[in-house]
Amino acid sequence: MAETVAEPFLKGNTGRNTRGILRLSILVLIAAAAIASRLFSVILDPWFNFRATKYLVSNGFYDFWDWFDDRTWHPLGRVTGGTLYPGLMVTSGAIYHALRALTIPVDIRNICVLLAPAFSGLTAFATYLFTNEMTTSPSAGLLAAAFMGIAPGYISRSVAGSYDNEAIAIFLLVFTFYLWIKAVKLGSVMWGALCALFYGYMVSAWGGYVFITNLIPLHVFVLVCMGRYSPRLYVSYCTWYALGTLASMQIPFVGFLPIRSSEHMSALGVFGLLQLVGFVEFVRSGVPSKQFGTLLRGLVLLVFGLSLGGLVLLTVSGVIAPWTGRFYSLWDTSYAKIHIPIIASVSEHQPTAWPAYFFDLNLLIWLFPAGVYLCFQKLADEQVFVVVYSILASYFSGVMVRLMLTLTPIVCVAAAMAVSSLLDTYLSLKSPDPADSAIEAGSNGTPAPSKKAAKQDGLRSMRQPLVGIYSTFSKMSVVSALTAYLLIFVLHCTWVTSNAYSSPSVVLASRMPDGSQHIIDDYREAYQWLRQNTAEDAKIMSWWDYGYQIGGMADRPTLVDNNTWNNTHIATVGKAMSSREEVSYPIMRQHEVDYVLVVFGGLLGYSGDDINKFLWMVRIAEGIWPDEVKERDFFTDRGEYRVDEGATETMKNSLMYKMSYYNYCTLFPPGQCQDRVRGVKLPDVGPTLNTVEEAFTSENWIIRIFKVKDLDNAGRDLASAASFDRGNKKKKTIKKRGPKVLRVE
Amino acid sequence: MHFLKGLILSLLPAAAFAAKKPAADKFNQFHTKALASTPLKLDDSVYAKLTAAPRDYSVVVLLTALEARFGCALCREFQPEWELLSSSWTKGDKQGDSRLIFGTLDFMDGKNTFQSLGLQTAPVLLFFQPTVGPHAVTDIGPIRYDFTSGPQSAEQVHSWIARYLPDRPHPQISRPINWVRGIAITTTILGTITFLSVAWPYMVPIIQNRNVWAAISLIAILLFTTGHMFNHIRKVPYVTGDGKGGVSYFAGGFSNQNGLETQILAAIYGLLSFATISLALKVPRITDPKTQQVAVIVWSGVIFGMYSFLLSVFRMKNGGYPFWLPPFF
Repeated sequence: MAETVAEPFLKGNTGRNTRGILRLSILVLIAAAAIASRLFSVILDPWFNFRATKYLVSNGFYDFWDWFDDRTWHPLGRVTGGTLYPGLMVTSGAIYHALRALTIPVDIRNICVLLAPAFSGLTAFATYLFTNEMTTSPSAGLLAAAFMGIAPGYISRSVAGSYDNEAIAIFLLVFTFYLWIKAVKLGSVMWGALCALFYGYMVSAWGGYVFITNLIPLHVFVLVCMGRYSPRLYVSYCTWYALGTLASMQIPFVGFLPIRSSEHMSALGVFGLLQLVGFVEFVRSGVPSKQFGTLLRGLVLLVFGLSLGGLVLLTVSGVIAPWTGRFYSLWDTSYAKIHIPIIASVSEHQPTAWPAYFFDLNLLIWLFPAGVYLCFQKLADEQVFVVVYSILASYFSGVMVRLMLTLTPIVCVAAAMAVSSLLDTYLSLKSPDPADSAIEAGSNGTPAPSKKAAKQDGLRSMRQPLVGIYSTFSKMSVVSALTAYLLIFVLHCTWVTSNAYSSPSVVLASRMPDGSQHIIDDYREAYQWLRQNTAEDAKIMSWWDYGYQIGGMADRPTLVDNNTWNNTHIATVGKAMSSREEVSYPIMRQHEVDYVLVVFGGLLGYSGDDINKFLWMVRIAEGIWPDEVKERDFFTDRGEYRVDEGATETMKNSLMYKMSYYNYCTLFPPGQCQDRVRGVKLPDVGPTLNTVEEAFTSENWIIRIFKVKDLDNAGRDLASAASFDRGNKKKKTIKKRGPKVLRVE
Repeated sequence: MHFLKGLILSLLPAAAFAAKKPAADKFNQFHTKALASTPLKLDDSVYAKLTAAPRDYSVVVLLTALEARFGCALCREFQPEWELLSSSWTKGDKQGDSRLIFGTLDFMDGKNTFQSLGLQTAPVLLFFQPTVGPHAVTDIGPIRYDFTSGPQSAEQVHSWIARYLPDRPHPQISRPINWVRGIAITTTILGTITFLSVAWPYMVPIIQNRNVWAAISLIAILLFTTGHMFNHIRKVPYVTGDGKGGVSYFAGGFSNQNGLETQILAAIYGLLSFATISLALKVPRITDPKTQQVAVIVWSGVIFGMYSFLLSVFRMKNGGYPFWLPPFF
């Protein structure tokens, strides 16, 4: 039997070593699988981060801090060093220099491309460590690591080439939480300090650090409310808070926010609370319990009154900044929609419908509640953390699609706990003897009530003693079904990754009728055209979504880009796009715009085009110029947003509309001109353009580039010059003279 | 011919001049009325008189439909704000320096006006600028204020009006202190405190019960992961019609859902989780082998069936999804 052969390897010291080697090799395999599943297609995006990294590598760290980028946000420029999270660039810079020091020649571009997959391997390992702190089951950690490695919710942000802050941030998030749990369990200053260190790293890497800043205090708060205050908690939290806050304040972009903005107040508040609770506990040890009660009540009232008054005073006097928009939209979900159109316009700030959860997490999503329930079995400090994290992350991910990322780790952990508890029960070779347990049950018959009373605060499903599974058939059926589900999960992940998350926004993939893949590469075609046919410093105006790509791939200055730091400037572009040519032209001249780039999906049926985003441009512009741009004017009397014959005059005269549909109908035979995105027929006579001229249109018409005309040589305004060129001379002269009238006198 | 045209042209300013005098009186007349009660309640004839072309004052008219049978919730919501705005404006400007008149025209009194303006919706706010006098504008048509983004507060409309009345006084809005609300809040707080202090001994076992907290946590998680927040933010309908008179429970499209879907999905997930918990925790605690065997088969069957159903529902939402399990294709 195999048992006898394997026996020596599974017992005693050798057994431990064998298991260790097995674990290690499994983890390495998981990391390899995590990396491999992210290599479907490789296109570097977003380009801004890559540009910044190149700058860092070639100019050094101190120059990077002081980097003023004059090729974006023309003519304002951007103080890049102070307005970005440098963690990502510094990480790849450090890897680059380390590899150079080891005399491994490597291009910085390759590091940037492979950074996200490499860190996903580390994330799997961090998840393994984190899960092992939660449960005693040996398999849970490995399962969690495997889930984390291939869960599409995380792959979505970490495929090869996706060089964004999230690439390293999720690893840091999970690892910080692991260190925090370790610190709470041991009450150790060292682990607390390590946690603070990685928290600082996280702050330098991603704006989502606020999630940690609020989750850890919430965990501590819940523990204190449960009466689980302990010196361990005090030591670890105070260490983390003091060091972590100092560390986070070293990032110029964050600066003094940790002590001023409201998002960070909960951490400060819990820090204060912990001091009070610590003080009270100290007093309790020295004062008789009767006086202590009175003392406590007085103290609580006093502190509550003081802190409330102080908070109100500070907020009113403006020392504490009011809630910043992006975060505020998490709590009051209608706030952003009304007040900050730029936030509401970003698709990542949209709420999540249920299919997205199933798409990103598959069966984990229903194993998740089961795993959380298991945490209630032994509700120690670390299990409370899982519960708090689960609820908070579920809420946040429901409000904002992007925060699915923060939910994914805990779903993997909880689901792994559920699966491992199933496997531990049903994979055990030992079967209980029915006779034995019957006797046991009989002998347990009398003391059962007292046991029940003792277990009163335990879970209902845990009251009977554990027996085990009797029949092999039960074991087989459950285990095989579970294996089948897990295999479907793997297939699902592969399918999702290859179909949904591996087509970067720059290249569109579509299926031909015969099932073969057709690549639509208009973006790169257009950027390449810009790079080769325009002057080095030609300013490109486009909606901000394409700013980073133009800056990176075409290497041309842009007016606005994805770093949406200046709302007014974005509104200016919005106004230029949504106004009549006569209004837009001076704006474009003032901003030295040479080319205007629009994205048009009407020919191909590409729905993410500018006409569909147009209302956001209008709304954002209306926020700044309510007199000149009005959203209402873009809707017909019946409240429809139309682009066909029935479109409003304002719509038809807007620069965006004209540029999108300019000459479009010449593609079709008369009377059949059609917009395939909005599914409407267009009038045969397209719009005319006076102040800009068509410079380039890509193969599938997705990108159209227009050159802004220079001032007329003869000093005419461009409209009349253009109409002169079109040969409208005759009509004009007639108009000037007026209609011929018969003289009667 | 030319001569005739010239004559008419030369007469026009004179006519305007002649009309100016009574127009000034017209403002005073309406302003005294407004001081008594504002906004003025208009009907077709008063509306026509008030907004007649030569005017050296501005008029804001709210065209609304307050009667219950029109079911205009927006009209009724805006009405108190409108009254507050007009009364505080008129009170703050007793001399009539801003030369602004507030009027309300209900659909019941002004059907003809609604018809002639071609209005399909209410409320609509029209702003008429003066045609003569120091602040005259060339464009005599009214400026329209639309309630596209829901009910507006008095302050928003105030700033909108103030924009069109430069260098004239803009009396501030003075909101009366809402005593009822303050009293209600105080009473509620006191009531809660009383209730808590009385019921505390009975509530402690509930608050400290682990099962209660487990239930609350799981329900919260199930709701959030099935798109409850999506329903809340997007205000989606509970169910939609399928176009054939029936009801479709599932909205078409991957990033869209009906209100009912959250409940169906929460139930599916809940059942699947419960079955998993039963298999993991309850079944190994059953002492009787037969019962245990049955429990295993039942719960495994439940998981298999529900998961298959879940996959089929997801295939409905996402057309190209290739995976499925036997019972539900």
